This record gives sequence, C-alpha cells and structure tokens, in this order.
Amino acid sequence: MNHQPEQINPDFEDIMDQAYSLPNGRAKIALLEEAIRIADSLGDVEQGYSAREELVETCTFSGHPMKALVAFSWLLGQFDQQPDEYDDFTLLWSYKWILDSIASFPEINRAQIEELLADMRRRYEQFGYSERSYYYYRFSILKDYGEVEEAQHFLDKTKAMDRDEMSDCEACEQHQFVEFEVMKGNDEQIIRTARPILRGRMTCGEVPHLTLSKVLMPLYRQGKLEEAEKYQKQGYRLIKGNRDFVLHSGEHMYYLLNIDLLQALEVFEQWVGLSLDHENPRDKMMFNAYAAVLFKRLVADGNVKSVKLPAGYPYPEEANDLPAIASRLEQMALETAGRLDQRNGNRYYTTLIQQL
Amino acid sequence: MSESDTYRFQVNLSGMINILSNHLYSNPKVFLREVLQNAVDAVTARSQQDPTYQGSIHLELTGTGAGSTLMIEDDGIGLTREDVHEFLAMIGQSSKRGGADAFTQETSFIGRFGIGLLSCFMVSDEIVMVTQSAKGGKALEWRGNPDGTYHIRELETELSPGTKVYLRCKPDCEMYYESELLQQWIYDYGALLPYPITFRDGQTQRIVNDQRPLWLDDPERARGHREEVLQLGQRLLGEKFQDYIPLKTASGRTGGIAFILPHSVNLNVKKSNRVYLKYMLVSEKAENILPDWAFFVKSIIWTDELQPTASREHFYENEKLEQVRQELGDSIRAELLRMAEYDPDRLQRIIQLHALSMKALAVEDISFFQIIYRWLPFETTYGRRKVHELMADGQKMYYTTSLDEYRQITHVASAQSLLVVNGGYVYDAELIALLPEVCAEAQTERLIPEDVSLAFTDITADERKQYYEAVRYADVALQRFRCQIQLKRFKPEDLPALFTLSQEASDLRSIETSKSVSPLALTSVLQSLSSSLQESAYSTLYLNINNSVVERIFQAKNESMIVVAIEMLYVNALMMGHYPMNRQEMQVLNQGIVRFLDWGLSANNDQGGHTE
Repeated sequence: MNHQPEQINPDFEDIMDQAYSLPNGRAKIALLEEAIRIADSLGDVEQGYSAREELVETCTFSGHPMKALVAFSWLLGQFDQQPDEYDDFTLLWSYKWILDSIASFPEINRAQIEELLADMRRRYEQFGYSERSYYYYRFSILKDYGEVEEAQHFLDKTKAMDRDEMSDCEACEQHQFVEFEVMKGNDEQIIRTARPILRGRMTCGEVPHLTLSKVLMPLYRQGKLEEAEKYQKQGYRLIKGNRDFVLHSGEHMYYLLNIDLLQALEVFEQWVGLSLDHENPRDKMMFNAYAAVLFKRLVADGNVKSVKLPAGYPYPEEANDLPAIASRLEQMALETAGRLDQRNGNRYYTTLIQQL
Repeated sequence: MSESDTYRFQVNLSGMINILSNHLYSNPKVFLREVLQNAVDAVTARSQQDPTYQGSIHLELTGTGAGSTLMIEDDGIGLTREDVHEFLAMIGQSSKRGGADAFTQETSFIGRFGIGLLSCFMVSDEIVMVTQSAKGGKALEWRGNPDGTYHIRELETELSPGTKVYLRCKPDCEMYYESELLQQWIYDYGALLPYPITFRDGQTQRIVNDQRPLWLDDPERARGHREEVLQLGQRLLGEKFQDYIPLKTASGRTGGIAFILPHSVNLNVKKSNRVYLKYMLVSEKAENILPDWAFFVKSIIWTDELQPTASREHFYENEKLEQVRQELGDSIRAELLRMAEYDPDRLQRIIQLHALSMKALAVEDISFFQIIYRWLPFETTYGRRKVHELMADGQKMYYTTSLDEYRQITHVASAQSLLVVNGGYVYDAELIALLPEVCAEAQTERLIPEDVSLAFTDITADERKQYYEAVRYADVALQRFRCQIQLKRFKPEDLPALFTLSQEASDLRSIETSKSVSPLALTSVLQSLSSSLQESAYSTLYLNINNSVVERIFQAKNESMIVVAIEMLYVNALMMGHYPMNRQEMQVLNQGIVRFLDWGLSANNDQGGHTE
C-alpha cells in the first residue's frame, strides 16, 4: 500500500487566510509559524513581519508567552531598521503584553527586566506617549516579584497620572488592582475592588474571565457561598479550554476542592493536559501547587483511587498512585518557586505555595 | 419618604433622545419595534382583564416622502390621565406599579412604556397620541415635543378602548416611512404575534403576519410541517435551508427552530440567532442564547422567560440564560443522537458540512462522541478518511499533536504504511486520543517525530565498525548546527535523509532567528531563555544507508568529501522540511554547491574525482 499524503500547500497567503479563520490556539499558531517559515525562507521581511504580528497577539491570548516574546524581539529588531515601514502603535501596544509575562520566567534576571522597562519607557516617550504606562508596568512587575510596598508606591504614582491611548483598558487595570488586593490578602477589600467588574460594569476581552476566579476564595471565606457558586460557574464557562487561563483553572480547582472534591478533580483532568507543556512557568507552577493540594485531599479522603491522565503525561504509571502525583506536583511547584524567589531575592512564592 | 421631599432630576429630553438614538439603540428603525411593543403591551393588559377579548393592531401610512404620516393603532387597554402622566412622562418608570427596578425585574409586560415612545422622536418631531382607557371616561389627546413639554387635552367623546399614535416624518427620515420597508420591518418584529397586524397604505390593506404557524406553541409539531418551516426560515433569516431541528426547553417557555446552515462556516463566525420575547423580536443577532459549539445552525427562538437588556437587543447573562442555553443545546444534541440511530445518512450529510462543529461538541461531550465518532473525518497518511474507514484494517492509529510534527514524518510514515493522523487541526489530536475510550477496538498512540525512527532498522555491528570513522566526521561537521547523526536503514529508499526536531530544538531555532535581528535589551533576554534550552535542544538527522547516494558517501574515504556531502544532505533535509535556513546554513549551501560544481568539472576534465 502506498498512499501519498495530501500535498500541503506552501503558499503564504493561503496559510495566512486559514490562520485567520481559526480561533486563537495551537492550530492557528502552527499555521502562523508555517507562514513565517515560508516568508523567512523566501527572505520576505514584510510577510515575516505581518505573520509575526499576528503570532504575537495569538500567542499572548492563548498561553504561549515565550513564543510571543521571541516573535516580538524579531519585530522590534526589524522595526528599528525600518521604522517607517511598520505600524508603531501596534508594536508599542504589544510591548505591554511582553512585560505582562516577562517576570514569569525565572531565567530572566532583574537587570534584564529593568533594561526592558527602560527600553519601553524610552520608546513610549519617543512616540509621544505618557509615562503612565511605564509606571503602571513597573507596578505590575514589582507585584509579580512579590514586593508589596514598592508596588504600592508605583501604583500610587500611576493613579495620579492621566490615562492616554496606550493605557490598558479600565477593566484590565481594575483587574490588576484586584490582583494586587489578593496579594495584600484582605478579603473584603478584594471583593470591594472587584465589584465594578462583578457587576458587569467593566468588561473587555479578558475581563471578567481573569477576575472571577480571584474572588472565589474571599467570598467562600466570608460565607457568601451562593455568590461564590454563581461566579465559579460564570467564570469557568468563560475560561474553559483556553490554555491562557491555566492559572485561573487552578484557582477554580482550589475553590472547588472545598465544595466538591470530584468536581475539583474534573477540573484537574480537563486542564492538566494544557498545563504540561505550558509556556508560562509561573502559571504552571500555581496550577501544580493547587493541584498538589487537591491530591493531598483526595488521598486523605480515600474515595478516589485512580485518575485519568492525559496522553503525553510523563509519568503515566502514577495514574493509580495518588500520593506520588501529589508529591510530584508539589515538588515541581516548589522547584519553580525556588527559582523565581532566587531571581526576585525573597521567599514570596515558596511561602505562598507552602501556605496553601 | 414623604411627598414633599421627593425631587426628580431634570432630564434634558433632546439630550436623552440623542443618547437613545446614538447609543442605546442600534438603528432608528427600532422606533417601530417600540410602538409595536407598546401596542402589544396594551393588548396583553386588556386580555388579562377580559379573557374573551381578541386583540388586533393596525398601522396606516398616509402621504408620501417628507409629507408622510404613520399611525399605529391598537384596541388594547388604553390609558387614563394618571397613566399618561405616569407612563409617558417618567423615563424608566415601570408600567407595573410598585416594581422596584424596571430594568432588572421580570414584568408581565414586554415594554417600558415611556422610554419606548421616546424613541419615536428619532423619526418624528411631534408625537400625537389619542387614547381611550378601557376603564371608561373621556378619550385623551397627548402631544409631546422633543424639548420635553407635552400637553393633554380631553376630547369630547368616549371612543372604543385603544390607543392611536401618530408620527409625522422628520426631515431626512423619509426612509423610515417607506411602505415596503415598513411592512418588512413590521413582519420582522411581529411575525410571530398571535393576533393580526394589518397595514394600510392608500387603498391597499393586508395582514402582515398572516402566516403565523400553529406549531409555535409546540415546536415538536414542526417536524410534520417541513415546507412551512423551511419557508419561514427563509423569510425570517434570508437563507434557503434544507434541514432543521426543533428546540424546546423543559419548561416549554422557550422554543424554536434551529436551521442547519447549508454551507460550512468557520469557527470565528458570529453566531446570529433571531430571538423573540413574548413573540416580539428582541434581537436579530443574539450570540449567547445557544452553546458555543452550535455554530452550524441559525435559529429562530421564542421565549417568555428571559430578561432583555436595557436596549432590548440582548439578554442578561444570568443563570436563567445559562439554563436555557443548556437546554436548547440538549435539544440539538438529542436530535443528532436520534439521527445517528434512525437516519444516519442525514447525520452524515450534516457532519460532512460541519465537521468542525461536530468535533467541538464531541470534545465537550464524550457520549456524543461515542455516537458519531465513526463518521468524523480526519486527515491522515492515507488521505482524508472517516474513522470507520480508518478502522477497517484494524491498524494502529498514530497521531501527532501538531502540523509541524506531522509534516516532519509524513513521507517516512506513508512509505512504511504507518497510519498517522494529522493532529495539527483544532480538536483532532484530542479526539483521536479519546477514541479508545469510546471504541474498544481502536488503538491509538501519540507519535513524535523521533518515534518514527523506532521503525527504522539499526545498522549491524559490522556496519557500525565499517562506518565508524565516517559517522564521526559527519557528527563533528553538524555539531555547530546542534544536530546529531543517526545512521539507519529505512523506507523509502529514495529518501536519503530525514531531519527531525524536538519541540525544544524548534524553539531554539526560532530564538536564534530572532536573536540575530533583535535590539540589545531583548538579545540578552533571548540569550537567557535559549541557554535553558541548550541542553535538550538537539535535532537529529537520520541518514538512510539504504539510499545509494548515502551508501556511497559513507564508503568514501575522503574526510573533506564526507563533511561537505553531509552538510549538503543536512541543508537539503532542511529545505525538504520547509525550515528557513539561518545565515550559517545558507553559507554551507552556497559553498557546497560551488565545491560540487568544482568536483564535477574536474572529474570531467581529468577523470579523477578528487581535488585537493
């Protein structure tokens, strides 16, 4: 038998058309990378640029921050060579996406991140945008480091300035404020800050998706179980299946394990496949940390003896060994936490995970 | 709170109208929906008091162009003087007394009278209303102006109960008074109303919603009225359909018809369903009323249990909606399951057109997957095939999880008659991985490019000894490309070399590409990222000793010849796999070509074959 495989058409435009017709996700990324390969091998910088522009956005919103960073670096390099050829707004806007996830990579040190922030500040200034975005991202990155007081300082600075067209939308900013309150740990304050989002008064492409999972535990601890249940359902529907939200799936799982262990396990089974090769080390770390708590509880509970592990799970033999899964997940989470803390110069993530 | 300390905000009506027309409503034509809705409310209110009463609504257009007047008449409950003040003068006031917040509370009336009538100022500079309350008393005439003032005059006589609203064409609004358009819009908004709407233009009068189908109250009965259903679909949705699925929630308060789109649609398509609330059109593009996976249908849905948003063009995303969505989705699912059992041809036709949608649903619901898996098509090394065709030979099904991986191994896999499914498309890898769970006979396994080499034959110990030196030269030659050599025997024989790349190696390649052009601040960041990949990121070049060229290369004793030949095979394999080459690799290609030309020419000249 000798069946010829179907010809894969190597035309750039065709592939880009196909890519545009897909929702953000791996299939689309594969096509865009294919398009980039074609453009690069033909030496067509313009096509390479437009495909990478799309790739940066697609990767940002489907949980591939490293691919986004790599493609963005290329764009910035080409832009510097021929700044008149390309759209500066799009490029500068996507700089913020890069900064959103940069502190999640433990191998990138603080000096390098500092340098990136300075580079962003310089470029924004050069194109006439306010310094507010710089202060805002300074705040956001310090928050990622786990430095509450420093972050607060830059948050105050940000709030004192006027927004401009480079500012994140108000819903996104409000969400960041909610995250900051989560870090500070006052449940009432978290819920209050999230209110405008919960009421549906502030929305955007990723809000309230990101926010709803943040209020579940605060509501639970305050005994507002009905409200928590409502937001859990609503939030889960919004994030379902999108790798970008693997961290948030962990937060849903962590809340649910107080309500119904089996439901929490279902969340684990649905997301663990996406977490395996997730590109954001910090998000993956938190997912693993929450999952570790779940598995410890399952072991203590004793009713579940085996779990469904996805194809490609590196330790398939552990499907019937829940204690092994629990300790492996915890160990993986703590390993990443250790590396992040070392880079950050504190013990924020290690403590956070140990206290779950 | 006592009467004396109650104050009202002063509302600037022209500002309000501006807000309505520019922000709240999507199009001025909704004034028609608003007046129809008021009429429907009036009819509903009267029929609640008098069960024998049969309502009707009448519209009349007089004059043409800028001189047009439109009259909308109902024989509903009518308004008393107090009603007029309350309903018309207070924006946002509920028509249900005592209701706390009209925007969030479910009411028995569709409309909120006042705000609805105000929308008429978008197309008319004056609104005149003549109304007779069913409670008796004299008829009233109300005249409202866009500056917020209005006058009420008591008429001499008592009329039969009902309300007439007169609108006069405002400059530049002629199109909203065109007979054809008006009739179309009236039909759009009110086609499903359970009583007649008549429209008169000059001498001609007709019933606009003359064909209200009887099966509206029980969508299940729509099955027996195929032609009628398809016709309604075409009329309301503007498309010619071939097939449909009746929709119904458990409570029976929401029903509908889901028409199966006669063409494929892509996943990003806006889902536009047409939704009627209490038989009045609320939205022509409701996205959130059916589950996400139902993008292969366009629906007409009627409900009396959902709450419209302030613009009345969408629904509040609340638990009720969630439940309705779930149950309507269940209707579609159940029908597909029924088809699988009783009418598989029909299901196959749908799957053929909407494979993507079916796959989306199958991923969400394994029991659905179980029913339809045999008809789902996948791209494989044997061509595009349905699962039952793939399973006919009892062969093991391998699958890749990306297009990249598939492309790397497809040549080799098909030469070896391996059945490989391209899992690079949305849902495909996931579904193939799940297949053994729904079908016990199916054997599936994930294949990564390195695995293909498992099917390769190792060279013998003697050959290993024989080629030892040559392999070492080759390895050293490709070291700088982070690529290692494996000498094997494999099919097809005419394939000299196969290049495979692990995910890490692939990431590293793209990092290197970006690093060569990126600005300083990012170069150092990329350097940090790539250093963590370095160790695992090796690519592999499998050389096929079954291939006569490769065999001859390895038998040659000339080291420089071997190095150049291997480098050329390496860049050739890159090109075959559509990998863009970096500067170093381009250089190798260029130098190699020249070198080979040189060798070829000198071989011709002196029959030698060796230079240097």
